[in-house]
This record gives sequence, structure tokens and C-alpha cells, in this order.
Amino acid sequence: MNALPPMILDLRVAPPDRRPVHVWLPLFLLWPIVLVLGVLALVFTVLADVVLLLLGERYHHYTILLARCFGMLWDTRGLVLRFNDKATAVEMTVQ
Amino acid sequence: MSEDRSRILKMLAEGKITAEEAERLLDALDARAAGTMDSAVSHLRESIKGDPGPLLDALPKYLYVKVDAENGDKVDVKIPIALVRSGLKLTSLIPPQAMDQINDSMAQHGMSIDFANLKPEDIDDLVAALRETEVSVDSANGDKVRVYTA
Repeated sequence: MNALPPMILDLRVAPPDRRPVHVWLPLFLLWPIVLVLGVLALVFTVLADVVLLLLGERYHHYTILLARCFGMLWDTRGLVLRFNDKATAVEMTVQ
Repeated sequence: MSEDRSRILKMLAEGKITAEEAERLLDALDARAAGTMDSAVSHLRESIKGDPGPLLDALPKYLYVKVDAENGDKVDVKIPIALVRSGLKLTSLIPPQAMDQINDSMAQHGMSIDFANLKPEDIDDLVAALRETEVSVDSANGDKVRVYTA
């Protein structure tokens, strides 16, 4: 796992016959909101898992699933996507 | 089966050696293989004495997918290996109902992979194998696909 979560989403789009667009999205501003929402969601998933466990359901892993989803988001740091056709170039970098 | 082992069994089948001799030869072969493994393990242990940082740095960290289409389209994706591992670990936790829908949808698109069979203990082996994998496809119409780690 990375030491830090993704901090910046750098998006560059070069459409045909128009000025290239360079968008710099500060993901680090979203993380506090995501953290609060995540904690709230964790409360619900823990409750759901306890209820499912008491009901004898085989699947009761929503809390771990949520934690792994956060882990996956965390590990997107370093992801680079580039698409080029003859006219347009798109580049997305998660830093 | 190793080449030596099959040669011994072939000699036994042809009657060139007795069953007892074959057994002794197979035992000797196993002993030799165990000795080789021990020396390989001890060599590995010697090599990771001290700071393991340089060795870890030498491991590939990204999975690259490059598509160079004949019509000029290009796709270049750099995926952190950590993300691949996280994704694979996530598949083992997807609720069964959702997993059925995913498998059905993938089957409809020609990919018959049952992710329910992907066990957590297999993921590390899969990622380790991925580090040594390189796929190059040169299609007849000029499209080129390359998947590798670095």
C-alpha cells in the first residue's frame, strides 16, 4: 500500500481545433469529506454485518468490503491513462 | 514431470532397468532436487541479509498496457501493481449476487472468468507471476498490444 493517498488528479485534454485543457483537481481536499462519509458508512456496514451474522447469512463482509474499497482508492496513486487518436489526446494522471 | 524422471520411467517400461533400480534412481533424483532447492534457498537468504530496500526497489511497481492501433489510435495505461493487488483482493469480497451478475456480464462479452474461484491465498502468487509476465500481440491488421511490468 502507498504511504499516501492520491493527492492530485491531473487531467489534460487536447481536442481538435481548440485550446488544450489542463485541469488540476486537488483530491487532498476531498479526503476529509470521504473520511467522514466513510466513518458514517462503516457504522451502517458494521450494523448490517452483525444483523446478517445473527440471521445466519453466509455473506456478512460488507465492512471488510468497504475497507478494501478505500484501500483500492488509496492505491490509485500512480495510475496513468493516456488515449490518443488522430485528433484528440487525453491524459489522466493520479499523483 | 522432469526430463530425468520421465527418462527413468521410460527405461523401466522398456525393461532396461528393474523396478528396484528405478526406485533408487528416482530417490537419488529427489535427493539431488532437494539439495539444489536448499542451496537456492540459502543463496536467497544470503542475498537478502542487511537492508532489503534495494531488492524491493528492483521489483516492478507498475503494469503497463500499450495498444497501438493500425488506424493511429493509441492507448497507454500505467497501473500500479498495488492497485492490481487491491482489485484482486476486492473481488473475493464482492457479494455473491453481485458476483453472479458480473460473471454473467463478462460471459456475454466473451470472457468466461469466474472470479468466485479466485481465492485470497492465490492472489499473491498471481501478482508474483504477473511480475514475470510479458505479452506482445502483433495482429495481422497492424494492431499491436503489449502488456508488461517494470
